[in-house]
Amino acid sequence: MGDPAAPSAAVPATVLVADDNDVAQRLCKRVLEKAGYTVLLAGDGLQAVEVALSQNPAMILMDVAMPGIDGIEAMKRIKAAKPSQPIVIASAHSMASDRERFLAAGADDVLSKPFRLADLIAIVGKLTANRGA
Amino acid sequence: MLPGPRPRPELKPFRTRGLVRRVTPIIAVLAAAGLAVIGILSGSFLSAAVLLLAAIVLLAGAALYLVVARARDAAADLADKARAIQASEERLRITLEAAQVGLALVGTDGRWIQVNPALCEILGRRRDLLLTVTLEHVTAEHDKPAVAEALAKLRTGDILRWEAQIFQMRGDGSRVPIEITIAALGEHPSGDALLLVQEADISTRKRLEGQRDGMVAVRQVILAASSWEQAAPQLLGGLCACLDWDVAQYWAVDTELKALRLHYGWHRDSDALEVFYKQSRRLSIATGEGLLGRVWQSGVVAANEDLTQATDYERAAAAEEADLRCAIALPVLNGGAVTGVIELLAPEVRRIENDLVTMLSTVGVEIGQFIQRAEISQALRRSEADHRAIYERSPIGIARISGEGELLEGNPALLLMLEHDFNAMHSQAWPDLLRAYDQAAGRSRIPALLAGVTDGRSVQLRAATGGGKWLWLQMTATPIPDPSGVPEHVLVMVEDVTTVRDSQDKLAEALEAQRGANATLEKLDRTKTEFLSIVSHEFRTALTGIQGFSELIRDGGLEPDEVRAYGGYIFNDADRVNRLIGDMLDLDRMESGKMSIRTTDVDINEVLSEAIARAGSSTTTVEFKADLDPRLPIVVGDRDRLIQVVSNLVNNAVKYSPDGGVVTMTTRSEGGFALVSVSDTGVGIPPDEISHVFERFRRVRSGAAQSIPGTGLGLTIVKQIVEMHGGKIWVESAVGHGSAFHFTLPLAAENVAPLQRRHG
Repeated sequence: MGDPAAPSAAVPATVLVADDNDVAQRLCKRVLEKAGYTVLLAGDGLQAVEVALSQNPAMILMDVAMPGIDGIEAMKRIKAAKPSQPIVIASAHSMASDRERFLAAGADDVLSKPFRLADLIAIVGKLTANRGA
Repeated sequence: MLPGPRPRPELKPFRTRGLVRRVTPIIAVLAAAGLAVIGILSGSFLSAAVLLLAAIVLLAGAALYLVVARARDAAADLADKARAIQASEERLRITLEAAQVGLALVGTDGRWIQVNPALCEILGRRRDLLLTVTLEHVTAEHDKPAVAEALAKLRTGDILRWEAQIFQMRGDGSRVPIEITIAALGEHPSGDALLLVQEADISTRKRLEGQRDGMVAVRQVILAASSWEQAAPQLLGGLCACLDWDVAQYWAVDTELKALRLHYGWHRDSDALEVFYKQSRRLSIATGEGLLGRVWQSGVVAANEDLTQATDYERAAAAEEADLRCAIALPVLNGGAVTGVIELLAPEVRRIENDLVTMLSTVGVEIGQFIQRAEISQALRRSEADHRAIYERSPIGIARISGEGELLEGNPALLLMLEHDFNAMHSQAWPDLLRAYDQAAGRSRIPALLAGVTDGRSVQLRAATGGGKWLWLQMTATPIPDPSGVPEHVLVMVEDVTTVRDSQDKLAEALEAQRGANATLEKLDRTKTEFLSIVSHEFRTALTGIQGFSELIRDGGLEPDEVRAYGGYIFNDADRVNRLIGDMLDLDRMESGKMSIRTTDVDINEVLSEAIARAGSSTTTVEFKADLDPRLPIVVGDRDRLIQVVSNLVNNAVKYSPDGGVVTMTTRSEGGFALVSVSDTGVGIPPDEISHVFERFRRVRSGAAQSIPGTGLGLTIVKQIVEMHGGKIWVESAVGHGSAFHFTLPLAAENVAPLQRRHG
């Protein structure tokens, strides 16, 4: 499988994965690094906000159900500081109403768990490419 | 009344003759005695003898005179007598002829000897024909015995005079009331005793008396009666009696049939009249038809004096059959309209006088007015009776109270409802009730009502009955004005609305329960949605790892240790999914009562010790402390399930404890129960969450506790198991200080005493 949305080798894009589930963290890190991204990790909402604002990742993959502040609250805080920061909500809350709720809260896109690895790579590629444009 | 034409004989001539007759012999005797005295005094025998002879001759002459005079007198007397009688009879005849009253001479056998024209007029008979019959013959049948008896007594001299009022029959068959006087007169020249009969026609007087009596009778009946139905028979009978009629019938106008129908009849006791009555009853008489129809149409009194001469009498044949000869009909007028006709019938032809017509017209009007009054008063009485019946029989309590609020009257329903007699009601219960009424109405109401202010609203209040029963009463007060419109009394309706109120309350309760049930359902629905959301979240979270890493493995190109590690992740998440499914099935079985517990003797201290050992081997960041009561008796329970309870609580305590936290387990025996506590020094449960911790998927989501993984079903299962053992579970917690879960298990009955089998 190719990497259509892969960043140029010259400027490897940074992706922040915020998830309290370490299995999910490991999976995303493994898949995205393989695809050529630099992966930052955060285990809860507050940490995600801190990393996002200090490390300035190209996009953020944000879980919702996290200790401390949840992913929605974290996203709001990040967007408040950096309105153009692309954030994808990646949640196991995958009912139709959830998707609407996340988009309404400001998410650039929503990735339902469990996901196909190709979908993960595609959505990250799209948002890092947008950022570039 | 009697002008006394009793004949008195002329006595003067008889007196003169008697004096001569009596004086003549005396003179003769005196003369003879004188001669004899002279002869004796003369002393001469011869002269004495001559004188004596002369005296004797004188005496003889005197005697002869006397005899002759007497004979002459007798002859003269006889002639005088005959003359006198003749004159007397002539005078009598003239008197008889000229008299205005009926006068007659009658023999003791009753035969008319002489009658005057007035008597012929009274009896409506010719003199010559009358002289062929007797006094009894012209007397009405009914009075004949009395007349016969009177004649007999007069004949024997038992009585000299007889007076009576009787009916006699006129030549035309009609009856005439007579005032009769019969007097003994002495003997007729023929040798018969004579009776003088004086008769006066009192029909006018009788008629007027009868009419007056009839009017009085009608008015008396009317005054005493309350309805026409009641008055009619009496009134018809009274009219007949006073006016001397045999039949009286009241025909009412039937407005539907447009005909007269016989409603009431009265008649003298007679089979024939009964037949006439029955025949009359079958008739319907149209307006203008016959006598009755004419009276109905015209509204004036009309009569058929002689029914045999009538051309349009509607029951001519029936009347003839019943021997009825005369009919008169009067309209009963009510407000100018004829509402009925009264007909009177008599068995003989009658002359109808104007005064009778006038009287009957008056009767008709008075009866009509009476019927109208009776109808109105009957309607009034009926309405009064209706009101009374409403008052007496109403299921609603009705009270009439004075301006001061005093109970004047209370109907049976009121007394029954409140279980008081009137006196108790009047003195105690009613004043209490009024106070309650004013209170419930929010202000003083009765005075306002008496001032005419009414809003027509009811007031509901609670009141105790005499029997101590509590009722809900609905009271509605209405001012009752006097005829001038001034409120005088207050009428209070009192209804027992206890049942209504109770059912209202029940309805409200039911509605409340329904709302509660709806809320529960809504909550259940929310819980279900939430449950689905949580379960799917849990499953998808677990599946994320399983799916992602298995995809990596499938796509190949991995190092062998990578494959091993990813396989481990996959296994763990699959295991978690499996546990989740197991928990859900367990809970479902418990909640639906399908799971039974297998009871054995269980040493709770041992279960706790094992749980500590297991937890201690998998964590090093939490310290465990045990404070187990060595004298705790054995409990009876399902060991595996109790292990599940303890493990769950211990795992929770560990999960929610920070590094260096302490988990303490204690056991105590308390009042037949084993009390088990598992406490931690963890994050604690916020107060608003604490009541929900045992609900499914109610994982503490806020604060630090949010990060703790779990199925969210553990505590729900724990609670179910404890309760299945007959125990209770509860939690105490303070955020930042930790939580303590306590549960009890009933001790086996024989172990309630603090003795210990295994550790004893």
